[in-house]
Amino acid sequence: MITSPVKLWRRQKSASSLIGKKGKILHWTIIRVPAKSFVDQAPYPVVIVKVQNGENMIGQLVDWQKEDLKVGQDVVCVLRRLRTEERESIIYYNIKFKPL
Amino acid sequence: MKISILGTATTKFGELWNISPRALAKEAMISALDASGLKAHQIDALFVGNMLSGILGNQANLGSLLVEELGVNIPAFRIEGACASGGLALHNAVNSLKAYQYRTALVLGIEKMTDHSQDEITNALMAAGSDEERLAGATFPGVYALMAQAYMQKYKVTEEDLAAVSVKNHYHGTLNSKAQFQFEVSISDVMKSSKIADPLKLLDCSPISDGAAAVVITSDENSKKIKNNVYIAASEVATDTLSLHDRKSFTSLESVVKASNNAYKKTGIKPKDIDVSEIHDCFSISEAIATEDLGFSEKGEGAIDIAKGKRTLFKGDIICNPSGGLKACGHPVGATGIKQIVEITEQLRGEAGKRQVEKAKIGLTHNVGGSGTVAAIHILRS
Repeated sequence: MITSPVKLWRRQKSASSLIGKKGKILHWTIIRVPAKSFVDQAPYPVVIVKVQNGENMIGQLVDWQKEDLKVGQDVVCVLRRLRTEERESIIYYNIKFKPL
Repeated sequence: MKISILGTATTKFGELWNISPRALAKEAMISALDASGLKAHQIDALFVGNMLSGILGNQANLGSLLVEELGVNIPAFRIEGACASGGLALHNAVNSLKAYQYRTALVLGIEKMTDHSQDEITNALMAAGSDEERLAGATFPGVYALMAQAYMQKYKVTEEDLAAVSVKNHYHGTLNSKAQFQFEVSISDVMKSSKIADPLKLLDCSPISDGAAAVVITSDENSKKIKNNVYIAASEVATDTLSLHDRKSFTSLESVVKASNNAYKKTGIKPKDIDVSEIHDCFSISEAIATEDLGFSEKGEGAIDIAKGKRTLFKGDIICNPSGGLKACGHPVGATGIKQIVEITEQLRGEAGKRQVEKAKIGLTHNVGGSGTVAAIHILRS
């Protein structure tokens, strides 16, 4: 499915303000059977993070080692290519988490 | 007003490659009508619970499509609330009877899933989640896996404890000829099955299934004269945030707590009064948490009580999922909420055969959509 450029444009406004924000992992899992557009990244961790401002966020963990998968692990928001898009789609960048 | 359940029916659940969604729905509707002794022209309205027809099959307008199969021109509605679509359809049908808009309604739950590939299904089911969850690459097993991690950490429960849910439900499935899986699994089978989203493994997860279930309900006073009459004592729905991460608790579902408390309050029934229940065990963790949210077990003891046999046929106190649940009976998402009603009705009528819960008088169904985003709770009495 082609991501609507309008939808993407609307969403991306919020992403830039989150870059560099730090937080701690509350819970984690490893997705081994993903949706189609994430297949080439699997297996990958998805984490719920308590961000500095007190808000909870859900996101993918990137550049990870096994020992990073623990409650309380410090992470930082980074901008990454989101997923594999259809050939006609705009490449989507979004916030993911990186261990600190 | 007393709302009675007249006829009930379910199709076989499973990979039904030789049958179309239309034919599957027709089979359930006609069988339920036959069982109720009514003809299609005696039905005032049709309520259809379905989640994925539009996304997977590019077929909307299900109400009209399916009423065509009945050969009548009655009002028909498709109701969607993810995996709780069936429970929501029944709730809406009940409300319409209570409002004196209709007297007799046919409620159908239908889903056709196995026509599509597994990654298409994974993707389609995530339509029940939030944008944030989809963009995180989360899947439904993934979201429940996060709950499982939270639960195991908080209550020091092990993966083996959770596996006991699947073991029990597969055992119950062996007693149900309509079930998708009619074989037993062991704790070690569950533990050795491939990982889907850690800590959940394949045998912690309900399958992708085809199936339909239907019930005829009526407010007709004459139905009280029916032998073994079963009626709907409570029909309650509650909701919660679309995203799991926006909630205060990851180890309890507020929607279930609210809807079940309302159902208990309105009927004066207490959790310990429930003889038999159908629980939305989309994952092993779901049933563990559900039995706590419904008040069957203390916090943190749901999985342990299941492992001890307290929810197992012929030995437990409050029996959960005699049909085999979503895990063994199968989980055609829109059909599940209605199948639960069919099972509890059969139990309360004493017509459940090999899996009959002795002297069952009060039953409960627990149907959940999304990650607890919506819950439909029904209490049935004989």
